[in-house]
Parts: sequence; C-alpha cells; structure tokens
Amino acid sequence: MSEQLALLPDRLMAHLQLSLVALAVGLVLAVPLGILVTRRRSLEPGVLGVASIIQTIPSLALLAVMVPALASLALLAERWGIELRSIGYPPAIVALSLYSILPILRNTVAGIRGVDPALHEAAQGVGMTPRQQLVRVELPLALPVIVAGARTAAVWVVGTATLSTPVGATSLGNFIFAGLQTRNYTAVWVGCLAAAGLALLLDALIATLEVGIRERRRGRVIAALGVSALLLVGTLGSLIAEASDQGERPILIGSKSFTEQYILSELVAGWVAEGTGRHSEPLESLGSTVAFDALRDNQIDLYVDYSGTVWATLMKREGLPESREAVLRDVERWLDEEHGIALVAALGFQNTYALGMRREQARELGVERIGDLPRVAPTLSIGGDFEFFGRAEWKALESHYGLAFREQRAMDSALMYQAAAGGEVDVISAYSTDGRIVAYDLLLLEDDGGVIPPYDAILLAGPRLQREAPEVIDALRALAGTIDETRMQELNFAIDEEGKAPSTVARELLRELRPAR
Amino acid sequence: MILLQELEKRYGETVAVDGISLEVSAGECVFLVGGSGCGKTTTLKMVNRLIEPSAGRIEIDGEDPGRLPGHELRRRIGYAFQQVGLFPHLSVAENIAITPELLGWEPPRVRARVDELLDRVELPPDVFRNRRPEELSGGQQQRVGLARALAAEPAILLLDEPFGALDPLTRDRLQQSFLRLRRELHLTVLFVSHDMVEALLLADRIAVMDQGRILQIGTPAELLAAPSDPHVAQLLDTPRRQRDAVDRLLGAAS
Repeated sequence: MSEQLALLPDRLMAHLQLSLVALAVGLVLAVPLGILVTRRRSLEPGVLGVASIIQTIPSLALLAVMVPALASLALLAERWGIELRSIGYPPAIVALSLYSILPILRNTVAGIRGVDPALHEAAQGVGMTPRQQLVRVELPLALPVIVAGARTAAVWVVGTATLSTPVGATSLGNFIFAGLQTRNYTAVWVGCLAAAGLALLLDALIATLEVGIRERRRGRVIAALGVSALLLVGTLGSLIAEASDQGERPILIGSKSFTEQYILSELVAGWVAEGTGRHSEPLESLGSTVAFDALRDNQIDLYVDYSGTVWATLMKREGLPESREAVLRDVERWLDEEHGIALVAALGFQNTYALGMRREQARELGVERIGDLPRVAPTLSIGGDFEFFGRAEWKALESHYGLAFREQRAMDSALMYQAAAGGEVDVISAYSTDGRIVAYDLLLLEDDGGVIPPYDAILLAGPRLQREAPEVIDALRALAGTIDETRMQELNFAIDEEGKAPSTVARELLRELRPAR
Repeated sequence: MILLQELEKRYGETVAVDGISLEVSAGECVFLVGGSGCGKTTTLKMVNRLIEPSAGRIEIDGEDPGRLPGHELRRRIGYAFQQVGLFPHLSVAENIAITPELLGWEPPRVRARVDELLDRVELPPDVFRNRRPEELSGGQQQRVGLARALAAEPAILLLDEPFGALDPLTRDRLQQSFLRLRRELHLTVLFVSHDMVEALLLADRIAVMDQGRILQIGTPAELLAAPSDPHVAQLLDTPRRQRDAVDRLLGAAS
C-alpha cells in the first residue's frame, strides 16, 4: 500500500497535467469552431458530424491510433528539422484533446443558438457590429452553457486519460494496467479512486465556476478561476521545469505490460544507476508493438523483448526454427542492420509458450516430452489462452507431433494454471517463466522436435543510446546469462502470488547480482 | 426628417411592403397602424436597415442612409420594441450606456447621460442604476428600453408597439411620459401600433396600412371626419363604439 501511495503524487500530477492540457487545447479549438458553426449554418452538419464520429471511436483505439499517425507526421516533420515524439505525451494529448472537443463544441453552439431572438434584435438595434454582438452579448450569455460543456469534457478526459498508459504517457492508468497484470488489486484501487477523486474535484471546481457565472457571483467565479489557474500554472510549471532541465537526459526504459517486464525494467534501471550513475525513467505498460517502434525511433532507450517475437513477427520468418543460438545471431544481425538497434544481452532465460501438465499425472502416463503426448492425447483435454489456438506455434505443434486431444478449451490465462492444477484440463499452454508453474507443481514438457521458436529474453538498446552513452551499454552487457528460467519463475511468483511489488523484487535481485563491492 | 419613396419588400413571391411613400417631418410623430401582417413593422425596420428594402428609396435628413454601414446608421437612430430586449447580464446603467460607449463617449459623459435619462423616464438613478433587468417590472423595463433608445441623443426614434404588452394603467402612464419626452427632446418619431386609440391619442398623423399598402394618411381629426376606405372606417368605428358604451355606463352610474 505505502509503495503504491509513494508513486501517487507523481502519477497524479502527470494525470492532472494530461487532463488540463487536453482540456485547454479542447477549449481553444472547440469554442472558435462552435462560433464559426453558428455564423455559417452550412458548416454545422459537417463539423458536428466529425466531432461525433471521433467521440464514437473507442477511446483506447483512438489513443493507440495516434501513435502510428504521429509517427508518420514525425517523418514529415523531420524534413524541416522538427523533432516530434510519437509516443508518450504527444499521442495522449492529441487523442484526449480530440475527445474533449465534442461536449464543448456542442454546448458552444447550443449556448449561442439559445440566446433570445429579442436580444439579437436589441443588439443590432443599439448599433453593434456582428463582432460586438458576439463578444458583448452572445458569448457572455452562452458562457454558462459553454462552461457546462467544459465540465462534461473534464470528467470524460480525466477518465479517458487512464488509458494513455499503453501509449507511453504516465498517468493514474499505470496503477491500473500494472495492477491488473501483476494481480495487485491495491494498485488498481489506488488508481481508480485517485482518478475518480480527480474527476470529482475538477467537476466541483468547474461547477462552482458555472454556478458563479450563472448567478453572477463575482467572488465564486474569481475563487474558482484562481484555483484553476493555480492548478494549470502548477502543472505547466513542472512541465516547463522538466523541459528546461539542462541536466543529463534521463535514460528511458520501456516495459510491456506483464509481470516480468516490470521487474526487468526496474532491474535495468538499478543496474544503470549503480554502474554508471545515470538517472533513468520508466515508461511502463507499453503496447507490444509500441515498444519496438518507440525504441527504433529513439523514444525509449532500452527494453527487453524476446528473440522469437522479433524472429517471427518482425522478421516474418516461417518454418522450423534453427537452434537457439542461430536465432539469436539472426535476430542480432537483423536488428543492427535494419534498425541500428543493439542486442545488449541475452538474459539467460526464455519466456516461451510451453505445454505443461501436473507432474504427478505426467509421471503416471510416462510423459516427459511433447513427443510422448500423441500416444495419450486422445484421452486428454488441453486448455490455452484466447490467442493460443490461433497462433502459428499451436499449428506447428499440432501438425509436427500429430496431436489430437479429446477436448480443447480457450480460457483466460489467469485461470489456466488453476484449471490444470485442479484437474479440469490435463495440458495447458503455459508461459515458461510464469511463477504459477512452480506454485502448482506443473511439469513443462520438452519440445523435443524443436517446433516452438526460442524466446530468449534480450535486452535491446536504441540507436541514440549507442551513440550518446556507450558506457551504459557496456555496463549492461554484464547482465548476459544472469537469470535462468527457474529464477524468473520465482521472481514472477513473488509478485503474482505473494503480492510483493516489482520494485522490491527487482531491488533484491539487483543486490544478489551486484554484491556490494 | 424621414422620407420613404415607393418602398418595397418582397420575400420570394410574397410582397410584405408594396410601394409605400411617406414623409415624417422633423419633430413630427407619425403612426403606422394596421393588423398583424399588414407590413407596418417591416416598413419600420427598413428605416434603420434591420431589413434591407427590395426596391424604393429612403432619405434621412436629406441623405441616403445606404451609404453608412448598418450599425453606424443604427447608432444614430433610437429603436425600442415590444419585447424590450434588455441584456440580462448587464445592469440598467450598462444597458443604457451601450450606444454612447459604442460611439466612444468619455466615461464621465456617459455616466451623466445615463443619470439624466433615468430622470427623464422617471426612474430615480440612485435606486435603479445598478439594478438587473430581471428585478424590474414590465413598465420599468420598457422605460429603461426607451432610455436606451434615446441614450446617444438621436433625432429620430423608431418605436414598434413599445407599450403593447403592458397593463392599461402602466400603459397610460408610459404614454404620458412619451408625450412629454417627444416634446422636450423635439423627436421625430415613427411609431408602429395595432391600437387605433393609442394612435389617436399620441399621433400627429396616422397612416393606416393593409396588405403592404397605405390605405389613408392624415391627422386624427381628418381620419375621424372623412375615412376614405371602409377598412379605415371600421378601424375608427371601434374606439367610437367603445366610447359610446362607456358614456352610457357612466351616465347610468351618475
């Protein structure tokens, strides 16, 4: 609990920053757009239509789509020498701003349209120009309605901002994404409650402003504006302070969204700090392809991937894989030649799809390797996660070994291990480093036919880090071969089942790997 | 002085105003009277170009108002209408001060003018200056509307049924105030009303309109003496019959 709470101020601040900047951008875009629509009626269906369509895009998809969209923009911008980041704040801000437009736009239009026609006539009658009518009559009268729109937008944006974690922007979503992956429900609760609290706070603040304007209570309006300004200045101040910090650039360490990734990124950060004194920052819970693209584009410096993933999904290799070493060599050469990415170290373990079963049952049936399975498979059932039976690995296993199970069931990966331990299924598609393999005393069957490609955990470094800080890479090479599969299982187990924090586990591991000198 | 010559307004096939010619001399009060849809309001709004004419000519003090941008023209012409249209987010003083401020008057001059006008429309400045429109009765709102129309010292005042929505007592008091104001300020007034009694009591001359045309124009006495048209006669007959009925009741009561 206290571990989570210690992270709260930074993440709350980051979340507030995201929300306020997105809301400010939304206001700056939506109010003029709304005014334009009331001036030119012909624009209304188009503008409101586009805004409504944006709103119907699922928020997670909208955020994710911003990454490739900004990446192609970044390529264009590069020609003019402008550096644009396609992960982290920019995609989150763009997506959240787009999201905040509709309620503000709609209310701006409704607020201006709602002005009594008699007041239009009076404004014309006293000799106001169209601009004066807008500024002196229409906008002041529409203001409470516009502010009400901003209030709706604020609540939406604060909620949606929790989804900006996978595109690399730190937010309260980090608690939720990491917490769900590592089964740390305290973290999930901290994230949810903090986001809800923040939404309520902003809602109350804007409500005060709205009521103040409606009832023309100057004191309330000034107080609400004052607090808003303070929040904005506070969050922007920290943003500017960060940007103008001329000190050494922190090394950005990415991680995907599952348990061992959190441990490894903390381990790498600690290793860098102790070995070189360089400060680093984590970018957690990145989407799987976001991480690789981010490394290639120098938006993160380091992260751990798996040789088989690069080999199969990025290099698009098919057929029976070569040996573990050959795949590593292939991958290393390809990463360097195609993307200038360095393979710093193979950490020593693989995290691969593997078939597992209860040790006792395996002994009774005389099964040690997958090659022993076809004989008994017709009497057994197999369980796999939702994507397993659609993956190339399963097709290869099926056809190479001639596997035909009595029954095949897809289930949530969190339930799979329990189902195997409880005898509900006999064989499961385990992840080879999962801590629950040890916990439930499962046996991983050897892939004696060499069908599943090797999934060596490999630490990768981006082009810029190689250029700017070769000493960091040299220091990290010592991590090669330091963690075996059993060790990784234990570490994952400590988090998933014993409820320890990844940072604690990583610290212990660091102490073990780098005895004090 | 307002001069209208062969003024027309068409909306597609519909003819709202069908060739009206009319002259309002300086200091004169002319009423446009008729039922709804007769074109009286459209005629009035063409004078300050809230509505642009389809054809015909307007002169104001010998000049073509079409040469000025519409908003500048309207700053020189007072305009008040039935719904008043006081701005709810502004105080009484701020409402009255609008046109002078648009014209760039110095603040002390604006303040003095606001107080003077509040006095003229019989609303004590100290009491009413800082009130909000929603705190005023209908009659008080209409007085502020009148003050706002007169704020920039216009020579011409256009009124569109300003007393139409008021109760009879309030209406009577406001009509008295109006009579006094137009004499004191020597205003040239074009006044739209559907109420013949109001026209007979306040007008120098009355133009009776129907279907976009003027049926007859003349002083109240001329119209009463010689209505040129059955429709005009009918309009004048109503106040007469009411007067006779009231006379009989008063006679019976005394």
